[in-house]
Amino acid sequence: MKARAATPWLLLAPALIATLLLVIGPVADTLWLSLHDVVLFRPRVQPFVGLANYLAALHDPAFWGGLWLSVVWVVVAVGLQFGLGLVAALLLNRQFWWRPLARALVIVPWALPSVIIGLVWTWMLDFNLGLVNELGMRLGLLSAPVAWLARPEYALGAVILAVTWQGFPFFCVTLLAGLQAIPRQLYEAAEMDGAGRLHCFRHVTLPGLMPVMATALLLRMIWVANSLDLILVMTGGGPGTATQTLPLYAFLKAWTGADYGYGSALAVMLTLLLLSVVIFYAVRSER
Amino acid sequence: MSGMKRRSLLAGAAGVLAAAPLARPWAQRPTTLRWWYHFDNPTSSPAALVAGFEKAHPDIKVQAESIPWGGGSDYDTRLYTSLIAGNAPDCVMVKFYNLPRLLEMEALEPLDARIAAWSDRADISDDLWKLHLASDGKRYYLPLLYVILYLYIRQDWLAEKGLKAPADFASFLDVAKALTGGDRWGFGLRGGPGGHDHWATFVLGGGAKLIKGGLVTPEALAANRWFIDLYRVHHVFPPSAPADGFVQTIANMKAGRTAMTIHHVGSANEIVAVLGDKITAVPVPRGPQGQGWTSFGDQSNAIFASSKNKEAAWQWITYLSTAQANATIAGLAGQLPVTTTAAKTWSAQPKRFIDASLASLPIAGLMPASPQTTDFTRTVWPQTTQKALLGQIPPDEMMRIFEKHFFG
Repeated sequence: MKARAATPWLLLAPALIATLLLVIGPVADTLWLSLHDVVLFRPRVQPFVGLANYLAALHDPAFWGGLWLSVVWVVVAVGLQFGLGLVAALLLNRQFWWRPLARALVIVPWALPSVIIGLVWTWMLDFNLGLVNELGMRLGLLSAPVAWLARPEYALGAVILAVTWQGFPFFCVTLLAGLQAIPRQLYEAAEMDGAGRLHCFRHVTLPGLMPVMATALLLRMIWVANSLDLILVMTGGGPGTATQTLPLYAFLKAWTGADYGYGSALAVMLTLLLLSVVIFYAVRSER
Repeated sequence: MSGMKRRSLLAGAAGVLAAAPLARPWAQRPTTLRWWYHFDNPTSSPAALVAGFEKAHPDIKVQAESIPWGGGSDYDTRLYTSLIAGNAPDCVMVKFYNLPRLLEMEALEPLDARIAAWSDRADISDDLWKLHLASDGKRYYLPLLYVILYLYIRQDWLAEKGLKAPADFASFLDVAKALTGGDRWGFGLRGGPGGHDHWATFVLGGGAKLIKGGLVTPEALAANRWFIDLYRVHHVFPPSAPADGFVQTIANMKAGRTAMTIHHVGSANEIVAVLGDKITAVPVPRGPQGQGWTSFGDQSNAIFASSKNKEAAWQWITYLSTAQANATIAGLAGQLPVTTTAAKTWSAQPKRFIDASLASLPIAGLMPASPQTTDFTRTVWPQTTQKALLGQIPPDEMMRIFEKHFFG
C-alpha cells in the first residue's frame, strides 16, 4: 500500500527536482535580489532594502510607461496573431492540391530564431535601403520613404508587425489541430437543420475550438508578454522609450545598468501580473 | 643489508622507475592560461598567435576564449559575473570604460612594477602610457590596440561642388547642407547605442566638459542646441538617424546615401571596397573656439587579481603588445597597433585613413572614468538623445539629464 502511494512521487521526482532547480531556485533568487540593493560591480555591498525597489518602481514613470506599452504590445500582437492564425487555419483545413506544401511553409516564421526575424524586419523596414519603402513607393502607396523604426508613432506598430508574422503560425497549427478534432457529423447535422456557413462557424466551429483557443491564447499571451528579443534587436526600446516594454526595461536595468536589485523587482512585478492571468484562466477552466 | 631490506629497496627502486614515465608528464604539465577576447569579425582567430607563443613558452598553454560582444553588454556582464562566480579568466581584453567598475570590484592586478621592468616598454608611445593611467595613479591595463575616430567624407562629392573638407563646425554645416538633397544627406548620425561618440565630437568639441557642472554651462547648452538643430532645423541627417546604429550608418555611407559620418579605421577597408578612392577621411571638425574632441577607442589587456597564473598571464599579454604579435592582432581586430615598430610598417588600411587617425590624436579623449559611463553610452544617451531629436524634450533638458546621470 505504502509502495503504491510512493509510486507517483517517484515517477514525478525527476520533473519535480528539475523544476525545483531550474524554476523555483532562480525565482527564489530573483525574489532575494529584489529585496536587496544589488549592483553587479559592487558584490561586497548588497544591503537589504525591503520593498524599496518595489516602491521605487511604483514612482518610476518608466515603469508605468513600460507597463502600458506591454499591455498594448500583448493585446494587439496576440490579437493579430490569433486572427491571422485562425484565418490561415480555416484555409488550410480546406482541400486544395498544394495544401501539404502550404502547411509546411506556414510554419517557417515560427521556426526562425527571433534574432533573425528581428534583423530581417529591421532591414525590410530600413529607411534608406528597405524593401517596404521601395515597394510602397513603386506601388504609389507612399509618397516618400518613411523612417518606420525612428518615428515613435510607427515604431511600436513595426515591431508588432514583426512579432505577428513570427507568432501567427503557432495559432494556425494549434487551431488547425483543433479544427480537425471537430466531428464531421456536427457540421452535417447543422447543415441538415438549415445552418449556413456563418452559422456553422459560430455554433459549431467556435465552440469546438474554444478549449484549444483558450489554452493557445494563454500560452501565447505569456510568451509575448515576456518576450523582448525582437524589440531589443529592432529598436532597443526606442526611439526614446517608444517601444520599451516592461520586460525590456527590466532587462536593460539589469543587463546594461548592472542594477540587479531594481531589475529583479521589475521582473517579479511582471511575474505577479502574469500569474494573475494564469490564475484567472485556471479558475475559469475549473468551472 | 639484510635480504629483506635489499628486496624492499629493489622493489622501491623498480617502483620509482616504473612510475617515472607516468610522473614525468605530470611534472611537466604546462600552466593553462585562460584569456578572454573579442574581435569585431567573429571569423578572426588568434590561433596562430597562440601557437607562436606556446612554441616560445612550452610551459604555458593559452586557452583563448572568444566572448560574444553584444554591443559590449554581453561581454561586460559575462566579465563581471565570472568574477563574482569565482570563475574569471586569468587575463582579459578590456576597454577603459570597464576600469571604474573593475576597480570597484577590486578585480585587477596592478601592473606598475611589471611594466617598469618590461624591456619593450619604450616601444609604446608616452601619449598612450599617459592615457592608460587609472584614476588612482596606478596602471592596471597594458595597451594593446587603439583607434581614433575621424570624419569619413565623400571627396568626389566635395569636388563636384567645389568644396573643401570641413575643418570647423561652421564649415561642417555648410558642407553638410551643400551635400544634402534628394535621397542624399550630409551626415550619417548614429542615433542608437554607441552614437555618443558622434554627439561628443560636436558637444564636447563645442565647449561642454565632462566634469561636474560642465554639461550645463551656457557653452555646453549652446553646443548641444546646435547639434540637435542639425537634425531638426537643417535636416542634414537622414530621417532615420534617431534609430540608426553602426550597421545602418556604414551601409548608408556605402550606398551613397550620406556624404559624411564618423568612425575609425576598423571600417575603412569595408567602405573602400565599395567606394574606392571616392572616400577619404579627415580629423573631425573643431568647435568655435578652435577646441576639438574625438573619441579615443582603446583595447587593452588586464590581469585579474584572482589569477593563480599571473606570471604566465604577464608573459602572454606582453607578447601580444610586442612588435610582431602586436601587428598580427591589430590585423585580426581591424585596429591600429600600439607599438611604434609595428606602426612604422602598418599597411592594413589605406594610408589616408591612418594619417587621419594620427592627425586626430591631439584632440582624442575618453569618456569619464565613472561607473555611470557604461549605462550612459548604452541606454541613457540613446534614449535621451532620440527624445531630443524627435522634439519630445528640449535640448537643454537632454543635457540636464546627462549632468544628473553623471554627477547627481
